[in-house]
Amino acid sequence: MLCNVLWRTLQDRRRSLLAWGLGITALTSLMMVFYPSIRDAGHIIEEYIEAMPEELMGLFGGQSVDYSSIEGFLNTELFFFMAPLLFLIFAIGFGSSAIAGEEEQGTLDLLLSTPLPRWRAVLEKFGALIISVFVLGFVFWTILVLGILAVDADINLGRLTGAVFSVTVLGITYGTLALAVGCARGKRAQGLAVASVFGIYGYLLNALAPMIDWLEPFRILSPFYYFISADPLINGLNLFHTVVLLGLTIVFLTIAVTVFERRDLAV
Amino acid sequence: MDEVLNIQGLTKSYGKSRGVIDLNLTVERGEVFGYLGPNGAGKTTTIRVLLNFIRPTHGQVTIFGMNIRQKSRQVRKNIGYLPGEVRLYEKLTGAEFLQYVGHLRNGVNWQYVEELAERLQCNLSRRIRSLSHGNKKKLGLIQAFMHKPELIILDEPTAGLDPLMQQEFYRLINESKASGCTVLLSSHNMPEVERVCDRVGLIREGRLITVENIDDLKTRALRQIEIYFAASVPRESFSGIPGVRNVILENNVLRCTVTGTLDPLIKTIAQYEVVNLISHEPNLEEIFLSYYSGGENHAV
Repeated sequence: MLCNVLWRTLQDRRRSLLAWGLGITALTSLMMVFYPSIRDAGHIIEEYIEAMPEELMGLFGGQSVDYSSIEGFLNTELFFFMAPLLFLIFAIGFGSSAIAGEEEQGTLDLLLSTPLPRWRAVLEKFGALIISVFVLGFVFWTILVLGILAVDADINLGRLTGAVFSVTVLGITYGTLALAVGCARGKRAQGLAVASVFGIYGYLLNALAPMIDWLEPFRILSPFYYFISADPLINGLNLFHTVVLLGLTIVFLTIAVTVFERRDLAV
Repeated sequence: MDEVLNIQGLTKSYGKSRGVIDLNLTVERGEVFGYLGPNGAGKTTTIRVLLNFIRPTHGQVTIFGMNIRQKSRQVRKNIGYLPGEVRLYEKLTGAEFLQYVGHLRNGVNWQYVEELAERLQCNLSRRIRSLSHGNKKKLGLIQAFMHKPELIILDEPTAGLDPLMQQEFYRLINESKASGCTVLLSSHNMPEVERVCDRVGLIREGRLITVENIDDLKTRALRQIEIYFAASVPRESFSGIPGVRNVILENNVLRCTVTGTLDPLIKTIAQYEVVNLISHEPNLEEIFLSYYSGGENHAV
């Protein structure tokens, strides 16, 4: 049997994916257009930023601000805050509606009255989530590469790929959490809410922990820590950190399948 | 192995609201079984258990001799299902939707799908979003019949269908029955059940009150009759007619309830000039009443 549910889901989502692709293209191109002038005025902006409270800077741009290199610029402007934000919103929206959306619309009854097993429905929805987030990641990567070529900057392509991969995996992790909550509760809003709240906590924990002593030991509990702290754009993809995120995804997926198999479907 | 469906001691309780309570039922191969009860009586709950959408609190259910929880997938292969409230993929056309469901069933005979669509006058090229409620129901019916399942489970199949399509639907049921298919349909409409079913189960407040042959039920059904005479008629003529009760006579109009055959009443009124005769379809409440009064008679 072909992956009917997977392809059907991708078809249903193609417009949304297109819109998000355009959005991320617009944002990334805009950043790249500004890069040359920011680079040239780098030290002025850095001084200006230095004058800002440390906490504010850490919250939105990471610990080190370095506008003189393309890596530093991309880290502060895109990878630390904006890119994960967009990937999370997209993936959480996708994951929360994957099963719960069909349940709320009432199409899940017809889908599961066929011989399709429930676990298979979840796995195919998960597959569609992975493909969609990776497509978005590919768009992001392509625009970054084109932008970097256009501004004539020098960057290690492998590390750039690693950084994009890292944000893609982070999106999938949170999307799978939303999928699992949707599978367990049958309500799209609950999947959205739970995954978003965990997303915000995860972000804040990772961003604020370096500045708050008592919080520091808990930083490793944040998925964002495994996404960005090893700085893949400068140091390359951290294999262990990536495996942690993938492991977390598998845990969420296992929960999704297990609870969905046992649950009563809503009318 | 002639038993297609066997329900033993099925109880499904939700938190506060009632589900079904200690339900026992068997349906034989080739039978058309009507599941009759008012809204909220537990019809849909029972059906959703059969499809493994919800789990029984107690009890055992087998379909085709297989446990519906352990062998749900094999069971569902041979079931056609129409939900009570048909909600489909709004973005798709009818044909795309049926192809999708067909693929999930490992392919169906597309010629047969088109034949069904033609019979039900369903335009498959329109987007589902733009279809009326009745037309969505037709798509639901097509997907329930298109893989020629051994058991067809229909939740309120004719609600929302126009009368002409209802006739076509009854023909479909009869043909399926003739080809050995078993049908379980829920309804709150007695005339419909009378029309197509062999047996009927009455469910009320989660309990299966009785299972009857449709013929037996008909003879016990309570009918309200109104007769308009051309001139006044003597009251005495209408006392003591078998099965006739609650006689009220005023202004040349006779109102009464009749159990069983109408023949004695008709023979009696034939001696006067009758202007009009109205027989009201027995509603569910009346059928339940007649069941209870019938039960009492049996007990005596």
